[in-house]
Amino acid sequence: MTRPVRHRFLFEQMVRRELRQKYKGSALGVAWYLINPLVLMGAYALVFKVLLDVANIPDYPVFLLAGLIVWVFFAQALLAAAPSLVLNAPLVRKVRFPRETIPASVATVQLITFVAMLLLLLPVALVVRDSLDPALLLLPVIVTFLFCLVLGLSMLVAVLHAHFRDVEPVLAAGLLPWFFLTPLFLPVDEFPGIDDHELIGDLLEWGNPVAPFVDSVRTILWAGEAPDAAHLAYVAAAGLIALALGAVVFRRMERDLAVML
Amino acid sequence: MSGLAHGEIALERATRSFRLVHERPRTLKELVVSLGRRPASEVCALRDFDLHVAPGEAVGMVGRNGAGKTSLLRCLAGIVPLDSGRAECGGRVAALLELGAGFGQDFTGRENIWLNGALHGLSHADVEERIDRIVEFSELGEFINVPVKAYSSGMYLRLGFAIAAHLDADVLLIDEILAVGDESFQRKCLNRISEQMEQGATLVLVSHDPSAIERICDRVVVVDGGRKEFDGPVAEGLLHYHRMLGTERGASVSLRPAADRAVTIAELEVKDADGRARHMFRPGEPMRVELALAGRAERAVAALEVRYQSGEAIFRTDATLGAVQGRLTASFEIPRLALLGGDYDLVAGALDQDAPPGPMLDRVARFSVTQVSDGEGVVDLRGSWTVEHAHSEHEALR
Repeated sequence: MTRPVRHRFLFEQMVRRELRQKYKGSALGVAWYLINPLVLMGAYALVFKVLLDVANIPDYPVFLLAGLIVWVFFAQALLAAAPSLVLNAPLVRKVRFPRETIPASVATVQLITFVAMLLLLLPVALVVRDSLDPALLLLPVIVTFLFCLVLGLSMLVAVLHAHFRDVEPVLAAGLLPWFFLTPLFLPVDEFPGIDDHELIGDLLEWGNPVAPFVDSVRTILWAGEAPDAAHLAYVAAAGLIALALGAVVFRRMERDLAVML
Repeated sequence: MSGLAHGEIALERATRSFRLVHERPRTLKELVVSLGRRPASEVCALRDFDLHVAPGEAVGMVGRNGAGKTSLLRCLAGIVPLDSGRAECGGRVAALLELGAGFGQDFTGRENIWLNGALHGLSHADVEERIDRIVEFSELGEFINVPVKAYSSGMYLRLGFAIAAHLDADVLLIDEILAVGDESFQRKCLNRISEQMEQGATLVLVSHDPSAIERICDRVVVVDGGRKEFDGPVAEGLLHYHRMLGTERGASVSLRPAADRAVTIAELEVKDADGRARHMFRPGEPMRVELALAGRAERAVAALEVRYQSGEAIFRTDATLGAVQGRLTASFEIPRLALLGGDYDLVAGALDQDAPPGPMLDRVARFSVTQVSDGEGVVDLRGSWTVEHAHSEHEALR
């Protein structure tokens, strides 16, 4: 971890550049990224609460938003990170600098958006629940591990996409079914048909690395409770494994980046 | 990590090859389809390349397009890893391979100084200390606070060079970037480079512009096919390079800039007996070399040298031509060309006898001599065979 520390100034500058590029020329700027989950929330609430009437969940908008912002962070970061090395090809070919700063700055910009949404949602959740729970102290911990997961996978997809140009389309295609398989609109144990399919239930809950993060953030924000030990352990392990995997694969595959881009 | 002094450069048996781009699998599908087939063909960009540059030296790198010059710089800069061998630079390296690579288009010039400084390894304090000098050097004035996407290409490059020129590196690796901007800015860049070299920086300059190399470098390396073809003094190196290029026959090419010298060869032409410019001769034909000196000198000396295709000088002559005031023409007559088939370089130079001696080769022109059946080698000694038939003695021996 000496490199990130030594290159903090560079990293800072790269994040600035990324932020500027992302919000350039849009009248609403950052607001667009906050609107996206709100629109999703509205559609979900309409379908599951009003039309299908399967969601007997109090404070349903808060429940939905708490999960959706996690998913949007995850998906947007990966989609933006995948082509990032290719988009910065001139830089990679001509300048010597730590290349992981490219996907890392992309992921960081998404983190900033995510934290902004979190900070907007937090007071709403507090007002709705009308209580201040100590479980909130766990929120930064979960967010840290979530960032580890996103950062690791961002480095992974970026370097893979540099080698094989169909990683990004495959990822884009995969994220849609992944979105529907993530228990965002109901907790897994409240699916109407779940009692007959226990295995599928377990898979949805634990086989999908994003699900425990969604569940944990929701438990804290919506229920005001601390996630159980299993969730905490899973979240920590998933974050660290993804980060290690991303770093190792990136280090191995970045060797010839200057030549192949 | 290396045992190199600051500013020292060492390449040892450096080898690097690239797979041809169009044969490289680009998508997963292509990768699967190409499994089991023979590996893609490779191009060797660097082959067992040895080079040692002492701190403070200035080396010019010349060669055809695709000869491996840029690959060499990229390996030296640590951007591209070697397949085998060693490539290291001592101290801080500034690789200026492309000015403005990595500029944020929506960043102002000033913001890009911060970003680019960071990319080249400067710290926050380093940039803070240099930013005023960089802004001043760039001559961008108010434009420094405008996003660079509004810049003209000239302004873009000015900013890029201004940043690059203030990295204060021990080793400067520069690729073709001096051919930018207007002439006065170019001169400013060259001065800035010279300044840094006076402070002990080492320079490796890739350029197709012989005058830039002549002006700054004291050594030339000719690269061809990923190998080092020549390594030595500038005039010799440039001559070697021109010979390799197969410099247009008949037309002469300047090897040195006219600047800062009292007298130079301004024109050099190879003609036939009727005074027509020619580049093909038969052995024994008459040839006339015409040259024009330009400049001002009390006692100008002109020299002519003929070199064989292998580079050896096979003939040299010089003459004191007297005072030159502006322009002086002279010619050298060869009644019968005593050369055999092959390609030859005619090199001419001029100097003022009262000036301190220095390298004097100015211009090169190329000519060829056709093959003839009755002689091999370089020089036509103009001999002839005589056979004496001694029938009677043979008869007697029998």
